[in-house]
Amino acid sequence: MPVIELSYSRLQKLVGKVTKKQISDSLPFLGLDIESENKDLVRIEYSPNRPDYSTDFGIALGLQGLLGTKTGAIKLNVKKSNKYKISVRPEVSKIRPFVTGIVAKNGKIDDKTIKQFMAMQEDLHFGIGRKRKKSSIGIHDLDKISFPLVYTAITRNHKFIPLASEKELSISEILEKTDVGKDYGKILENSTKVPIILDANQDTVSFPPIINAAITTVTTKTKNLFVEVTGINKEDSEDMLSVVATILQKAGFTLETVQITGAKNSTAKFEQKKIKINPTLINQMLGLNISTSKIISSLKKSRLDASIKGKDIVCTIPAYRFDIFGPMDLVEEAALGYGIQNLTPTMAPPQTLGQINPVSSQIKSLSQTMVGLGYLESLNSSLTSKRVLYEMTNRNTSKIISVLDSKSQEHTILRDTILPGLLENLSRNIHESYPQKMFETGTVFTLDDPISEKTNLSSISAHKDANFTEIKSILQSALKTGFGIHIDTRTTTHPSFEEGRCANIIVNKKSIGIVGEINSKIIENYKIRVPVVGFEISLSESILKSI
Amino acid sequence: MSQVFHPIEKEIMIVLQKNPNLSVEEIQEKTNLSIDQVRRGIEWLRHKQLVVVNTSKKEYAILGKIDIPNFELPEQKLFEKLKEKNQIPMNELHQFLDKNEFNVAISQLKKNNFIEMIKNANEILISLNKNISANIPSVELFRKISEQNKILKNNIKDLPALENLTQRKLIAIEPEVMKRFILTASGLIQSQKESLQKSKTFSADTILVESSEKRAIDVEATVPETFVARTHPLKDTIDEIREIFVTLGFSEIIGNMTQSSFWNFDALFTPQDHPARELQDTFYLDGISAKKIATPEQIRKVSESHKKNWRYFWDINEARKMVLRTHTTGVTIKHLAENKPDEARIFSLGRVFRNEKVSYKHLVEFNQIEGVVVGKDANLRNLMGIQREFYKRIGITKIKFWPTFFPYTEPSLQTMVYNEKLGKWIELFGMGIFRPEVTKPLGITKPVLAWGGGIERIAMLKYGLDDVREFYNNNLNWLRSATKCQ
Repeated sequence: MPVIELSYSRLQKLVGKVTKKQISDSLPFLGLDIESENKDLVRIEYSPNRPDYSTDFGIALGLQGLLGTKTGAIKLNVKKSNKYKISVRPEVSKIRPFVTGIVAKNGKIDDKTIKQFMAMQEDLHFGIGRKRKKSSIGIHDLDKISFPLVYTAITRNHKFIPLASEKELSISEILEKTDVGKDYGKILENSTKVPIILDANQDTVSFPPIINAAITTVTTKTKNLFVEVTGINKEDSEDMLSVVATILQKAGFTLETVQITGAKNSTAKFEQKKIKINPTLINQMLGLNISTSKIISSLKKSRLDASIKGKDIVCTIPAYRFDIFGPMDLVEEAALGYGIQNLTPTMAPPQTLGQINPVSSQIKSLSQTMVGLGYLESLNSSLTSKRVLYEMTNRNTSKIISVLDSKSQEHTILRDTILPGLLENLSRNIHESYPQKMFETGTVFTLDDPISEKTNLSSISAHKDANFTEIKSILQSALKTGFGIHIDTRTTTHPSFEEGRCANIIVNKKSIGIVGEINSKIIENYKIRVPVVGFEISLSESILKSI
Repeated sequence: MSQVFHPIEKEIMIVLQKNPNLSVEEIQEKTNLSIDQVRRGIEWLRHKQLVVVNTSKKEYAILGKIDIPNFELPEQKLFEKLKEKNQIPMNELHQFLDKNEFNVAISQLKKNNFIEMIKNANEILISLNKNISANIPSVELFRKISEQNKILKNNIKDLPALENLTQRKLIAIEPEVMKRFILTASGLIQSQKESLQKSKTFSADTILVESSEKRAIDVEATVPETFVARTHPLKDTIDEIREIFVTLGFSEIIGNMTQSSFWNFDALFTPQDHPARELQDTFYLDGISAKKIATPEQIRKVSESHKKNWRYFWDINEARKMVLRTHTTGVTIKHLAENKPDEARIFSLGRVFRNEKVSYKHLVEFNQIEGVVVGKDANLRNLMGIQREFYKRIGITKIKFWPTFFPYTEPSLQTMVYNEKLGKWIELFGMGIFRPEVTKPLGITKPVLAWGGGIERIAMLKYGLDDVREFYNNNLNWLRSATKCQ
């Protein structure tokens, strides 16, 4: 979940007439978790579905609603203007077809505001922008740009001075040499030309979705902004723009339209959505019985508009709340406005009878039997390493199931057997007193169509007198007491076991596992200094009863 | 309450009762015990405050460091010679004694008036005095000390001889700390009881009393540790949680840990380009895809819901990719899609996986419980009530609910529980109502309440651990010592 740093005093100014305590008490009830606090600064974690919470401006809007200082939907006041136009050329249609934009005037930008805008941009790029692939945003100093603009495609030898650079670079150089170029260049790898926004003087404004031109850099001296969003579909680009527009309006800017024409593009309308909901559904889902007017005031506290229409409530949802899909989302909005702290838990008597899964209860009984035989239960990961599973135990590595890109070297392949993990456990306990007797029940994995998962039981005993007779006797008792099953053993060989001290375990003429004395070389590999005996059986096929 | 004593303790107490103020050696003489047994017994009794030590310092005369062959002092040698021949010229004596010895011998014997020296014309004649009573005092004392090794200084009467030998460094005075032991008042009472019992031994039914005498041992002594065989502490917590939900009317379902992306993500309304589905969060199985993932209708409806709401190209090959399940919710939703119950309480419990760096708070593989309620009474407050009941049964009463976000539930809440030890609120189970975008495409018509969370977190609170890795280290020291009943 993304994290943002806020200042209480700045928030107080933005919300108006509230105490610091009111703010810190309310944040969790907007769904914002306080990670840490240090005097005036507070770090909060917000949900990726609410990009409007990526700035303090957006959080202030939410707090105003919850604290009741300002409720109802935020209306965007966008002045229609003919001054700002972008025409879209068909060349870009197959690369990144859509552009939209807005102009924001007469705002004050200090360092903290720039920081908030950058955080918002990052969040929008990562979340709804899907790492700039779906849509991306550029914020520019309006006064450095000569309109009208053109959004088109250009060859890779086109040159301009990109943001944070002092000299001209070609598109190819930007993609090869700059960090953003390396990170996001692959979005454009399928086309020879790249998207570009040029102004009336043919100067580059932006190279979406990679980088802006240096000339339009926003500083604390900037008064007027131009925001452009490009993307692979129109709705997502406009969604992203609506978040930025809402935040800029709250930040004190006045908004003006940017007219978009050409190649299936059109000017953004920031249309509000209307969703009908029956108040009964809200009461039913929340387990409440509150009046329709209470529901309406709750929805308004969540910064939506709501009014009665017949038996229903009609909700008006501002464009930036594209996380709202339908009535169930409004149930949540009503609950948040009502206050989660005001919902008291209730207990409805269950209409059903509970039951433990028979496989779970059989495994539990078997575990109790093993404990009764003096064995201690061990727990290992199913995701283990080649070292434990194959190298240390001398097993053949033909059918490995591995995971991609594991961050941990100890966890790269799925186990097909439990015993090596238990040997590893012994090797980590050589300083503890003997005898050491352990068992584990768990899932093992083998390639099938696509994968078969089975439950195994494995058990080991390590002490100076450990021998085949002891472990066969334990195995025999466990299965006899646990399941009333009689076993036979037939001589076999296995790379992990000592030759002549190893047998297949036979139940109903079928081998269900292996028992024996662990090969002395393997014991040596693990630096264990006493003999070790053990067995492993598959429970899934012949032992556990499925009901 | 009567104390039971070790036989060694008993013997020592009875001896000390009769003879107060004995040393270890003296106790040994009066009992059948070895010196080590006496020392040990005395230590036990002192520890129990039944015996106190009485320390005294004594001085002993012992042999000095000068080596005297055959313990024969020079004056002795001269004396013996003179006894043979009454009168010997001094020159002749040099044959028996070297110059040093000679001087010492003459001066010692002269000091004690044992000899006379007569000057002739040419020589000096030495003869024994006529009226010598016994032996030379210094020789006598030296002999005694050499025979007995040491003599208490206070017992030596011949002080001139003592001084003489000391000055000549033939003997030395050595201090020695003496420890003697006496019974304390309670020791005396206990020893009287013991001697009474001992006399009883012979009066009543001998065999019976003797056998009971054998049974009575020092119950206060330490004993070696026995290590218990046990189920794993985390398994105990899992079993406990399983049982709680069964008693709350839930039935357990089991599903595979390897799942197709379809059930792990797509069926739960997580778009295919969502960051949570990337390699860096989810374990994909290398090169493994499922051929059959769901019914054609399920696939069609789920993909339509994605296309409509998330506006992207839904790729069935993405949905076929096999992953290690990131939650057990996929198992539950599949069960609901297959059974479409009108009324149900089910849960699923097992290992889930996240591609994370292992640390004190993160594992790549951990246990999760996750359950659903389907039915007409399904509402958010009931869901909160089930949570509250569960926490109450594991001993957590201070809880609150905060809103949160999950891609497949709406509304969504998380439980915060107060941890007294840490003095802060921590996040436990998440919960919510399955989104219609999840249930509708799968033909589930009734509202579904869902909740779930990690089990290790609860077990950590229970066992007071601050490193989650401990559960999978299989460190015998911890497994053998963690308290079973919490």
